[in-house]
Amino acid sequence: MLEGLQLFADGLLGFATPQSIFNVLWATLLGILVGMMPGLTATLGIALMTTLTFKMAPGDAILILICMYVGAIYGGSRSAILLNIPGTPASAATTLDGYPLARSGEAGKAMAIATSGSVMGSIIGMLLLATIAPVLANFALEFGAFEFFWLAVFGIIISGHLTSLKDPLKGWIAGFLGLLAAMVGQEGIHAYQRFTFGYIELGGGLGLLPALIGAFGFAEILVVMTQPSYQLVKSKVGSVIPSPAEVFRYSRTIVRSGIIGTIMGIIPGVGEDMGAWASYAAARRASKEKARFGSGSIEGLMAAETGNNAAVPGAIIPVLTLAVPGSAPAAVLLAAMFIHGVRPGPLIMIESPAFVYEVVAMILLATIAILIFGLMLTRPLLLVLRVPRERLMPIIFVLCTIGAFSIASRVFDIWVMLFFGVIGYAMRRMDYPMAPLVLGLVLGGILDKSLRRGLVLTDGNLTEFFVRPISAVIWIASLIVILYSVGPVRRLFGRLAGGPTVDDKGAGSG
Amino acid sequence: MAKADFVTSIVVILLGLGALVQSLRMPRFEHLQVDPYTVPGIVPAILGAVLSVMGAILLVRSILRGGWQIKATGFGGLIFNPATGRLAVGLALTLGYAAGLVGRLPYWLATAVFVFLFVTVYEWSATDNSRRRVMSLATALVLAAVVAVVVTMVFQLVFLVRLP
Repeated sequence: MLEGLQLFADGLLGFATPQSIFNVLWATLLGILVGMMPGLTATLGIALMTTLTFKMAPGDAILILICMYVGAIYGGSRSAILLNIPGTPASAATTLDGYPLARSGEAGKAMAIATSGSVMGSIIGMLLLATIAPVLANFALEFGAFEFFWLAVFGIIISGHLTSLKDPLKGWIAGFLGLLAAMVGQEGIHAYQRFTFGYIELGGGLGLLPALIGAFGFAEILVVMTQPSYQLVKSKVGSVIPSPAEVFRYSRTIVRSGIIGTIMGIIPGVGEDMGAWASYAAARRASKEKARFGSGSIEGLMAAETGNNAAVPGAIIPVLTLAVPGSAPAAVLLAAMFIHGVRPGPLIMIESPAFVYEVVAMILLATIAILIFGLMLTRPLLLVLRVPRERLMPIIFVLCTIGAFSIASRVFDIWVMLFFGVIGYAMRRMDYPMAPLVLGLVLGGILDKSLRRGLVLTDGNLTEFFVRPISAVIWIASLIVILYSVGPVRRLFGRLAGGPTVDDKGAGSG
Repeated sequence: MAKADFVTSIVVILLGLGALVQSLRMPRFEHLQVDPYTVPGIVPAILGAVLSVMGAILLVRSILRGGWQIKATGFGGLIFNPATGRLAVGLALTLGYAAGLVGRLPYWLATAVFVFLFVTVYEWSATDNSRRRVMSLATALVLAAVVAVVVTMVFQLVFLVRLP
């Protein structure tokens, strides 16, 4: 514990340089702007920023990416409150109470609540990251091929289920499509080139970053350009300073939402949007003012904003300890860490324990920055929402194209970006979530190697996959999730639990 | 959505079966006496099979919901839908730039042409006021020049990228 505090203090002191503080400020501000603008998601922002920072020192680059991540998830609340359009999918739950508050002339108050919720959520998530990550990393040292195989399967199953609650089958199809796409290229055991059809460029596989820029950038541009133009709510903004009394009044909601948000973040491939929805649902159940939810409830808004920002440190926990992303933006962060030579995974607390606490310090700095910008720059930042999308989207597409290209200076990566953009658009229109697809792309390699290694270790005997204690827990959990999505079984679970089953809202992705 | 599910389920089944067949054709390196459990096709074959099964479930479900009743006349409404028109324009502009202009024209010129056309095409159709159209053209021209110069300079001089 004391060693952890020491490492955290060292990490924080390491960033006490003018250059680091400058990086924190501009990257968080840019993140807020990216989050605010409908069509620009946290995933795209981090992916584009990865292409722009990959020649920097690892510490500076990761700091910038984390500030961008925290800023974008917070920034999404602005457009959710003022436009009724979530700037990022993470702010979808924020629209439910944020927009009614803005329409009733309390836009400033709504943004103040969003700022305080986001800051508190980040802090709770950060504290949980600092305490859970070392424990989880130690626990993950027990993981072998069998456990990693089931972890990859569980990640796809739970992500597919939670990001597509109305129709988990579509979430699972998206996840397995991602796994299959990860099979393209040279495999790691015999160096055989799979599904390359004679194209040399496919030998290295489909690049994760071009694919993400396509699925979250190009696809989103197409979605935005087919929709009618948006209108800013006509409301006086008023004071954007949060009231301490209000924050104290909803302290239970804040703590509960912070913990739920972090847990949703930890679950592979689920992320900030579900962090917000789950916190919102829990707050509604526990609230004394249930009737106000959906029509301008301060408590509902606080829960959603605390939940989504708490999910950011939550999603980083499995990135650091298992090299498995908790959300789509965290998948990009994971890819960026590999690019910069950081090796996240179970060995992190042995090889580079200081890095875990440096990440905690980075989140704290980003949180302080969103507090500063939330209090001081709300009004000028709102001007960004007045930029017509017809002028913004071509600039974003130019950045998507050059961003995909600049990672490896390959025109082929532009084609990968275009391919995933068109596929991503079609999938989105047909209600397929993007997060399991991304998770599949990341986990495909782990699944492939773990299954084959496991089979070699047991000489083809599958029993070992099922009887080892941790494996057993993970496959049984996966099975329960699958069974729960079958209507009659869910109703049976509901009856056994003594309450009605609720079909919650489906959610998008990072 | 049942009709869309019907079509996508067939695509998913075909994709899964295609992956399965391709995986079964992958070498097993018997002559090298490699462990049969490490052959390259094993995991993609499983993934292809699972995708086909999930596609089949989606297919059955969409058929039960009447998704197979696709009418040819329905396509007319789809094609002449304003949203489809906007999508087609967006696709033509973006694909034309990224897959057509980039690499064939100097990067700055390709970017300037794309930004100018994108802004002009969308803003031109949004109004029939000639004054606003002239303003929009002027804005598009300035924006195209600024974006082309700034992006080219930043990537070439700051990030040292050899532009396509």
